[in-house]
Amino acid sequence: MSPRLALLVLATIVAPVFAQTVPAGYPADYAQTIAAAKKEGKVVIYSALDTKAAQPLIKDFNALYPDIKVEYNDMNSTEMYNRFIAESASGQGGADVMWSSAMDLQVKLVDEGKAMAYQSPEASKLPSWAVYKNEAYGTTYEPAVFIYNKRLVTGNDIPQDHAAFAKLLNSETAKFKGKVTTYDIEKSGVGFMFVVQDTKYFPGMKELEKGFGAASYRVYASTGNMLEKVSSGEHLLGYNVLGSYALVRAKKDPNLGVVLPKDYTLVLSRVLFIGKGAKDPNAAKLWTDYILSARGQKLIGGEVELFAIRTDVDTEYTAASLNKQLGQNAVKPIPVSSEIVTYLDPKKRLEFLAEWKKALASGGGK
Amino acid sequence: MATIAKPAPPLAAERTGFALFAALPRALTILLTAAAVLAPLSLIVYQSLLDAPFFDAVKHVGVAAYDFIFADPDFWMALRNSLLIAAGMTVIAVPLGAVLAFVMERTDFPGKRFIEPMLLVPSFVSPMVLSFGYVVAAGPVGFYSVWATDVFGVAPWGLYSLAAMSVIAGLTHVPNVYIYASSALKNLGSDVEEAARVAGASPFRVAVSVSLPLIMPALLFSAVLIFFLGLELFGLPLVLGDPEGHLVLSTYLYKLTNKLGTPSYHLMAAVAVCIVALTIPLVLLQRRLLQNVRKYATIRGKAGRIRELPLGAWKWVAVALVALWLFVAVIVPISGIALRAFVTNWGFGVRLAEAFTLGNFREVFNEPTDVRAIWNTVLLGTVGGALTVACYTAIGFATHRRNDGWSRVVDYLVLIPRAVPGLLIGLAFLWVFLFFPPLRPLRETIFSMWLAYTVVWLAYGMRLISSSLLQVSTELEEAARTMGAARGRISREITLPLIRHGLLGSWLLVFMIFEREYSTGVYLLAPGTEVIGAELVSLWQGGAIDIVAALSLINIVLVFIGLAFALRFGVRLRD
Repeated sequence: MSPRLALLVLATIVAPVFAQTVPAGYPADYAQTIAAAKKEGKVVIYSALDTKAAQPLIKDFNALYPDIKVEYNDMNSTEMYNRFIAESASGQGGADVMWSSAMDLQVKLVDEGKAMAYQSPEASKLPSWAVYKNEAYGTTYEPAVFIYNKRLVTGNDIPQDHAAFAKLLNSETAKFKGKVTTYDIEKSGVGFMFVVQDTKYFPGMKELEKGFGAASYRVYASTGNMLEKVSSGEHLLGYNVLGSYALVRAKKDPNLGVVLPKDYTLVLSRVLFIGKGAKDPNAAKLWTDYILSARGQKLIGGEVELFAIRTDVDTEYTAASLNKQLGQNAVKPIPVSSEIVTYLDPKKRLEFLAEWKKALASGGGK
Repeated sequence: MATIAKPAPPLAAERTGFALFAALPRALTILLTAAAVLAPLSLIVYQSLLDAPFFDAVKHVGVAAYDFIFADPDFWMALRNSLLIAAGMTVIAVPLGAVLAFVMERTDFPGKRFIEPMLLVPSFVSPMVLSFGYVVAAGPVGFYSVWATDVFGVAPWGLYSLAAMSVIAGLTHVPNVYIYASSALKNLGSDVEEAARVAGASPFRVAVSVSLPLIMPALLFSAVLIFFLGLELFGLPLVLGDPEGHLVLSTYLYKLTNKLGTPSYHLMAAVAVCIVALTIPLVLLQRRLLQNVRKYATIRGKAGRIRELPLGAWKWVAVALVALWLFVAVIVPISGIALRAFVTNWGFGVRLAEAFTLGNFREVFNEPTDVRAIWNTVLLGTVGGALTVACYTAIGFATHRRNDGWSRVVDYLVLIPRAVPGLLIGLAFLWVFLFFPPLRPLRETIFSMWLAYTVVWLAYGMRLISSSLLQVSTELEEAARTMGAARGRISREITLPLIRHGLLGSWLLVFMIFEREYSTGVYLLAPGTEVIGAELVSLWQGGAIDIVAALSLINIVLVFIGLAFALRFGVRLRD
């Protein structure tokens, strides 16, 4: 082996070690974070996004940082919350990173001092409503959509905005009796959050609730269940369904139609923060920055099929494309802020639920 | 223990020491059982008397949680529905299970070997998946419903009513009765039945007047357990109760998780305590009924040979009954899941041939988590199941033939965990593993999952073992004692070999229920300890129904393979 060849071989072996330089625009001391993270060797993530969907992100993160093992735990947002508070109370830090679609629960945990302060170098690339106290970050841009069965609902029956949805239920009650579905707001935190936002933007909300009552709407806690039942034709219409899941399914399923409401479309953003007791804080920082980076966001808006919150990435599902399609003003993101924890107060929540039930009853339903 | 250390006359000290030594394994078994059951349970009771999570700094003791649920009309509706469904399914499952056991164990029913595994199918499929199978098959646009509508103009059944839920729950719980009844029958000589036949009784009469009364302890045990399971029912009402808004106690408890925005443990715990309180009178009743168990001892010193009864003309009645049950409880839901696993979409007006796909399975096998979940589930069922049966047997011996206070305590203890909905007891186990330092290192290992499963299914496995134990007549043990054998030796050399069929059946049963268990493990999942059941729950939430169906079908197939092996093994032992 010639000396030059030997050098080349050596270089290829050593190269990956040196390849992990500080990304452009990051502070210089980031190299120390990377080094410390490598020493930690792993990052424990609790997430409401299932492992299969998150796989491209995990793989890509590993390509970037091969020495950091991603221990990814998927569970639903309530389970995450239960586990996290128990673990933090027992002093047995479990999660390094909490990444959940239950925005209100996430903000509550931050307010209770359960998150570690971390100013991500990527934070400036995010809209201001998505950054909370330099502790929690909105990472996605997922619309709440209407879904319908393409075989059985056609033409003018397909509601294009909230008013049309309400009108349809109140005028063609017989056709839609027992065939409209949405989240059970008593069981689903996300569903509850959506209707609270609706009351803010949609003046005809009472009419819609009356229509739900009149059409004896069916409620579920699981998004999958709603998609399945609308696709099969057991139900015809679905309201406020999480669009990221609906669009993925609609791509493969010729029965399922998806409408982004024209008057306004609510947008949910998965909130991520680093746990205060994180055992691998540096690795957690790397994951946070990766998810918010252009590289991570490109995957989120691409292969992962959520929507990228950053407007400066070019991929299939992005905030930019959604804003363009609907018009900037029609997109109503739910802010990552203390405003959304209002209804975690049991008394206020029960009052809201009572009002909701009263409106349903006015339509003659349950 | 202090007595050992005390200086005393040598002979007396030796005797006390020996007695203590002999009693030690029993005391230890009872102590461990009590700890495993009471630790999570006391946390739940304590939690129900607070107004915030027990680990919060700010909390107040009081009965506010009970005030809240008792003032909630939903609670009373859920209670009423639960009682109705539990009663309905007991009435359906017990007689049917008993008759099936008689037909399979005692008669010349054709093709028994092939049919027996089928009989067990509903009990090893997660009820959530089974219910989903019913929705696909017989829901408003299910494919049986669409066919029925084509033929008759209308599908003459509804799937979402309370009555339908009771019937489905009843039919799908038949295997639980069946396995108890048949294992009791196996230990029963057929001489009395033959005598009845000789005297001219029909097979039906033999079953009703001779065989089934002889296995009354097993039937009563299973009736009480079915009623418990009815009160605890979760997956089925979760899927089938939602569309028409029928709540039962466990789905009400589930609803409370999010009703106030953040999980309200105190309310959930209060509901769980109510469910446990409901079951206590049942346990008392059961003990009363079984006070004189000795008259049921039927394995006596003389050999009891089992001979098949010819069914004669009754054969067709039996075939029709078995076929109908198999169709409704097995073929309909399983074909629903199987169909769903191979299509991308379904429903009214969909040509299934066009929707056919193998992609769902490809996705499962390309996903390391799912593959790991499959392995872990098998491991937990086989190796874990065997360990579990060993534990149950130890507990069985600790209470066998002893009518002291400790036996009674254990009897109550084992029945309680199953009364608490799996999701909550799983959470309580997470608390135990977190807040009890010696257990902390085990939390993220499969041991935590195994322990939770073993405790949750105590009642189930224990009944099988104790009903086998009760079948062993005292005279055999007394004979050994007369010869000077110690208690431990009698257990090892006389009783244990005699109940080996019961233990094998028990292992099989434990394997099956561990395969299908879904709610208990949710809070104990960690990377590397995934199990299919808990994976299904988390996938169900997100929307990956394709994967849910494929994974369920894989689960069913795996268990079928395991079951076939076990049966071959079991059959050889029996001969």
